Amino acid sequence: GPGSMEGSVDASALPRPELQDSDYPVQSSPANCHGRYFQLTCNALPNSQSLAARWHLPLGAVSHPLAEAPLNEEVPVIDFGSSGIIRCRRCRTYINPFAVFTDNGRRWKCNLCNLNNEVPSDYYCPLDQTGRRTDVHERPELSRGSVEFIAPAEYMVRPPMPPVYFFLIDVSFSAIKTGMLQIAVDTIKSCLDKLPGYPRTQIGFLTFDSALHFYSLKSTLTQPQMMVVADLEDPFLPMPDDLLVNLSESKSVVEALLNSLPSMFKDNLNVESAVGPALRSVFMIMSQLGGKLLFFQSSLPSLGVGRLKMRGNDQRVYGTDNEPSLRNPEDPFYKQMAADFSKMQISVNLYAFGDSYVDLASLGTLSKYTAGQVYFYPSFQPNLSGEKFRYELARDLTRETAWEAVLRIRCGKGMRFSKYHGHFMLRSSDLMALPAVDCDKAFAMQLTLDETLLTTQNAYFQSALLYTSSNGERRIRVHTAAAPLVSDLNEMYRAADTGAIMMLMSRIALESSLVSKLDDVRQQAVQSKLVRAFREYQNLFGVQHPLTGRLIYPESLKLLPLYCLGLYKCLALRGGHTNATLDERLFATFDMMVMSVPRLLSLLYPVMFRLDEHLLHGDADIKAIQRLPLTSEKLDARGAFLVNDGVRFIIWLGSVLPVDFSIQLLGIEAVQSGDFNKAVFDGNNNVSKRFATLLKSLRSRNPAVFQQCHFVRQGDQPREGFLVLFNMVEDRPAGLVGYA
Amino acid sequence: MAHFAQQEAQDGVRFTFDKWPNSKIEASKCVVPMAAVYTPLCRFPAEKQVLPYPPLRCRTCSALLCPYVQIDYMGKLWVCPFCFQRNHFPQHYHHMNENNLPPELFQMYSTVEYAPPSDRALPPVFLFVLDTCLIEEELTFLKMALKQAIELLPEHALVGLITFGTQVHVHELGCAEMSKAYVFRGSKEISKETILDNLGLSPSRRAFQPKSQQPGVAVNVRDGAFAIGVNRFLLPQADCEYTLGALLDDLQRDAWPVQPGHRALRCTGTALAVAAGLLGACVSGTGARIMAFLGGPCTEGPGTIVGKELSDPIRSHKDLDKDAAPHYHKAVKFYQGLSKQLVEQGHVLDLFACALDQVGVAEIKVAVERTGGLVVLAESFGNSVFKESFKRVFEAGENALGLAFNGTFEVICSKDVKIQGIIGPCASLEKKGPSCSETVIGQGNTSAWKMCGLDNSTSLTIFFDIATSEQSNAAAQAAGRPFFLQFLTQYQHPDGKMRIRATTVYRQWVENVGNGEELVSGFDQETAAVVLARLASHKMETEEEFDATRWLDRSLIRLSSRFGHYIKDDPTSFRFDPEFAIFPQFLFNLRRSQFVQVFNNSPDETAYFRMLLNRENVTNSVVMIQPSLITYSMQGPPEPALLDVAAIAVDRILLLDAYFSVVVFHGMNVAQWRNAGYHNQPEYQSFAQLLQAPLDDAQAIISERFPAPRLVVCDQHGSQARFLLAKLNPSATYNSAQGPPPGGDILFTDDVSLQVFVEHLQRLAVQS
Ligand SMILES: [Zn+2]
Ligand SMILES: [Zn+2]
Repeated sequence: GPGSMEGSVDASALPRPELQDSDYPVQSSPANCHGRYFQLTCNALPNSQSLAARWHLPLGAVSHPLAEAPLNEEVPVIDFGSSGIIRCRRCRTYINPFAVFTDNGRRWKCNLCNLNNEVPSDYYCPLDQTGRRTDVHERPELSRGSVEFIAPAEYMVRPPMPPVYFFLIDVSFSAIKTGMLQIAVDTIKSCLDKLPGYPRTQIGFLTFDSALHFYSLKSTLTQPQMMVVADLEDPFLPMPDDLLVNLSESKSVVEALLNSLPSMFKDNLNVESAVGPALRSVFMIMSQLGGKLLFFQSSLPSLGVGRLKMRGNDQRVYGTDNEPSLRNPEDPFYKQMAADFSKMQISVNLYAFGDSYVDLASLGTLSKYTAGQVYFYPSFQPNLSGEKFRYELARDLTRETAWEAVLRIRCGKGMRFSKYHGHFMLRSSDLMALPAVDCDKAFAMQLTLDETLLTTQNAYFQSALLYTSSNGERRIRVHTAAAPLVSDLNEMYRAADTGAIMMLMSRIALESSLVSKLDDVRQQAVQSKLVRAFREYQNLFGVQHPLTGRLIYPESLKLLPLYCLGLYKCLALRGGHTNATLDERLFATFDMMVMSVPRLLSLLYPVMFRLDEHLLHGDADIKAIQRLPLTSEKLDARGAFLVNDGVRFIIWLGSVLPVDFSIQLLGIEAVQSGDFNKAVFDGNNNVSKRFATLLKSLRSRNPAVFQQCHFVRQGDQPREGFLVLFNMVEDRPAGLVGYA
Repeated sequence: MAHFAQQEAQDGVRFTFDKWPNSKIEASKCVVPMAAVYTPLCRFPAEKQVLPYPPLRCRTCSALLCPYVQIDYMGKLWVCPFCFQRNHFPQHYHHMNENNLPPELFQMYSTVEYAPPSDRALPPVFLFVLDTCLIEEELTFLKMALKQAIELLPEHALVGLITFGTQVHVHELGCAEMSKAYVFRGSKEISKETILDNLGLSPSRRAFQPKSQQPGVAVNVRDGAFAIGVNRFLLPQADCEYTLGALLDDLQRDAWPVQPGHRALRCTGTALAVAAGLLGACVSGTGARIMAFLGGPCTEGPGTIVGKELSDPIRSHKDLDKDAAPHYHKAVKFYQGLSKQLVEQGHVLDLFACALDQVGVAEIKVAVERTGGLVVLAESFGNSVFKESFKRVFEAGENALGLAFNGTFEVICSKDVKIQGIIGPCASLEKKGPSCSETVIGQGNTSAWKMCGLDNSTSLTIFFDIATSEQSNAAAQAAGRPFFLQFLTQYQHPDGKMRIRATTVYRQWVENVGNGEELVSGFDQETAAVVLARLASHKMETEEEFDATRWLDRSLIRLSSRFGHYIKDDPTSFRFDPEFAIFPQFLFNLRRSQFVQVFNNSPDETAYFRMLLNRENVTNSVVMIQPSLITYSMQGPPEPALLDVAAIAVDRILLLDAYFSVVVFHGMNVAQWRNAGYHNQPEYQSFAQLLQAPLDDAQAIISERFPAPRLVVCDQHGSQARFLLAKLNPSATYNSAQGPPPGGDILFTDDVSLQVFVEHLQRLAVQS
């Protein structure tokens, strides 16, 4: 319970993240891949099970195979041509900088399994006096931790698929009423020329309400043909072809369809939603090629297989053993459907809208197991969230995507990855199926020692993503990393990586929320873990530094307590029934299960700074921003503060904030009416201009999502509580743990 | 026979016997049943007036006021000739007197048509159902024909479109944004409720449907019969002609692949069920027709007539005989159900079957015939039989078919006359009453029938019975006393308004039949032949092990014994009255016809022939039984010839009208002259005229017949000549003692000749 964290701590004395904190530790050598691609929770690994047992924090790694690289740091692409890719005969490890060449270059020793492999004659190169190949600097695969191989035909079970974008769109009454359809259609239309993979890209559409609407987009047609199938028991395809077409050939028909859809359904009063039958139909259309399914849903599935019940607002369930069931899919249909999709290389991105409960726990399952992503726009209104939806859909459509991918992470003898966390389906014990994957998806995995004592000096890891690029090449992206094996816990503490630890810890906690009550999760998966780890540390060093009453922690983990507190209070895990709607909670969970380390850290401990000063002083450079501790003490009634959690911007306006400033920032109408929905950012004055520049700059640093501005006035409850006060990680509202 | 024709011209009716024996026993001795062939909408003479007011009805039996009522001018009363009820004339008849009678009381208005005023004009409804499992060429022909037809439709006619192959596509013509269709799986039997539900036409779903995109069409029918679906699926021709044209242009062959060695998946039954459901939901109780265009057999879902594999042959008559057609009964049952639904809704199924193979006419027949649908059978949608016929359906003018809708037909008869039933295009309305006989033929046990579709030539054969004579009735049946029949037809006229056609006729009882002289004088041998043909066909279809040839022979023998003049056991003494003179020849030809010799044809062809036999008038039906033959030669004007191989001569042209086909047959010399091009030379103009005349006459026949017959132009000894030869009396065969006359022909057949047949008949007839 509260207070179980030992001693009382002065919040102001706690270390906090600096704005310039590098998100990743510095690479130890260029032979290691960059931490953005693959990062161990600890860069010194225990050489024994007994040592591992004393670590208490998660042991494992974060893999983000397609992380966006800064300019000039792109992963080099290597084509071995006909000679084929050099791999270990036994464990299938790819040639990498840690391989040791012997026998004057005729053999190489696998760094993962120690097998001596023959060097193929056309890969042969003599060694220099130090035993290194003389061509090592011309060969990225021997000098760089991250490379990408072009795969020859034997890496294909079928010809590389074209990029496929299939749109499944709810056109029932609520979808029309919210304006979702119009924006979706407009955005798709504006992205048609930017979809990856021209001229091979394929596209298709299915809309539905109580019936399923198929569209033939055959290129020779003057206008699309709509076919309605209302047999929900046993849905079927109304034609064998032309429901999925080549975009470049059928572009005019596709555009005609997009132009017609809004008017076609503008008067639709149908409130039903036959989601399950629609998914089955899409499966039939897509199963030949696979691809990406963008699924737009604005109500609770009501007809046919997979229909769902309202169950989101039963508060009596909280605190009982039934509580976790709310966070699980209600109907096994969704998991089965997801498994079918995954098998056929289909990845589902769910765009959920809704005034009320849509059961993301069930619907999101489709994305969870297909390497997809969940987008959620509660109470969607075009003028408020339209831009966010537009941006995120456009990014989804235009970002570089790896198709029909599998991800495997190999490690040396004596250890293995035992559990994986993220959005994927495990195809065998260690092969993650990722029908479509992109730069916004990260994965986490736990490492287990199989042997009581490891005798090697180093542990090696290699992540290999086999995929089809949008231009139709089969490729393998390989990231290799090494870490020393140590026998001393202190060495481990020194090499700990807070970001990776938090990633693994968060995902483990979120997954346990699917089987445990939130209370238990917070206690067991977050708090007691932290406490045990620090107690171990205290046992190690407390004797030498008897600073009573002070929490002591290793330097490398100095931010861990604060982040854990953030995790404790994050939307997904915080409080109980009243603190977040079920769908909001589930959305936060799905989001956190795919996000990268930097995004996670800013979510757990958002950046807060004083906005009015920043805008008035005319210094729009965000480097000059002074980051404030997340405590309500810092909120000054005379000022405006911006909280950036990487998901949205929350702008808190003090009760005595000068009206002049408010008017400049928001426009007169919003200030007079007190309605922030009327705020205009017209750039008519310096404040407004600088605010726009600031937002642009902040957004550009976090391109994965569109951060929407949420304004809140001091004392405007409960809004202030939900948006701001909950983010005051260091505060300790009743019933919640904090530093006190 | 002239007076029969005259009666037919006035009333559209012909009886087998014009005078009836007054007892059941005597009637059965007549062999040929007491029956009438009636054409309810036979062309109404132009000089007669259509009465613009509703008819007066007897308040007891609801018979209409007619020329045979007794009128009490003083009491302003009329006495019903059927039930003797005295009825008061209403106020607006009170000015009437002996010199000032309303038209319906004149003898010449024994057939009268009422067109009561109405502000409702119902548009005709045409729902086209297209098979898309066609080769490209056929589909193109079909599209062309359909586009032409749509152009010919009146602007207010409501039009709908369903296409089908593996699945059924119901096109929503009222969708402005794009082409839109509702799709049904073909393989599954779908309930009526599901069809409506899936189309968004069931009451429960209506609330959620998009608001109609167009203002309602200018129809307004009681009970909201023109429901919401009308402006989605059925649109006025003027509003959807363009949409339909574009749709037909874009229409592709069925897209589902056909496995090698297999037939296309064609769900004809489901498509028709969906069509019926759509009409039922949208325009129930008003005139509408489903026009189905089939290019092959149904292989998928209900109504399947053959398996999917090509190695599985389509059923033949032999298979049907041996009960070796596994799909047949199931399919017929399905179409019986469909016909029931259509009859309830008042809708017609028309069938245009164009394929080299059979398409299932035999199975669908029940639905077409019960609803009074049109049927055309041809080998291709490019074939003139289809093209000409289809055009005729929509053409206005003197050859217009006069398509009428949603009719009911009623028979009211004098007390001692009972109705056994009807063979023809109608369905029982199950209105049982005292006038129904216990013996049932065809659609019986009723005195009212539904005629969903009827036109100027639609004819019915009504079979009568005579109530067992009892003492009390004897007076009423005294010699020379008349009995009355009234035929009432209520129908939706092509102009969209409801009309009533009434024909009231009287005939006489024969008290003392004696040797039958009086009966003979009223015998109409053409009608009798037609009625026997229909009866024989009907029995072949409905009675197991029925031997038509034997039955016809025995009937003829019995008839001859009864009405012939002869000395017992002396065949040479046999003689018929002129009233019977050509009857044996009719039966001789009937025995050899496609109606009895079914094994020469496919079950589809047989069904087709029979449907037409059952729906045409006497004159046309006689031609089906006994084709007519005309000879053309340089020696004189064209003249009719006996249907005999002897008619063939090298220097003659023959024109055979076998109803379903018209054959122009050139004698060998004529053919040679033609091949030499004589007709192109000015000095042989008369030869050119000789060549042209039969073609012109053939064209005249074709242009006024529906369906258009097939035209065969052939030469003596050519392969097509078989179309003529098969119809000729084999007076000279390869068996004959003497060879053919010079230039004549012999027939390679074992059939007996007419002469042999008649001799045989006489021998049996005179046996004691
Ligand atoms: Zn190895
Ligand atoms: Zn009466």
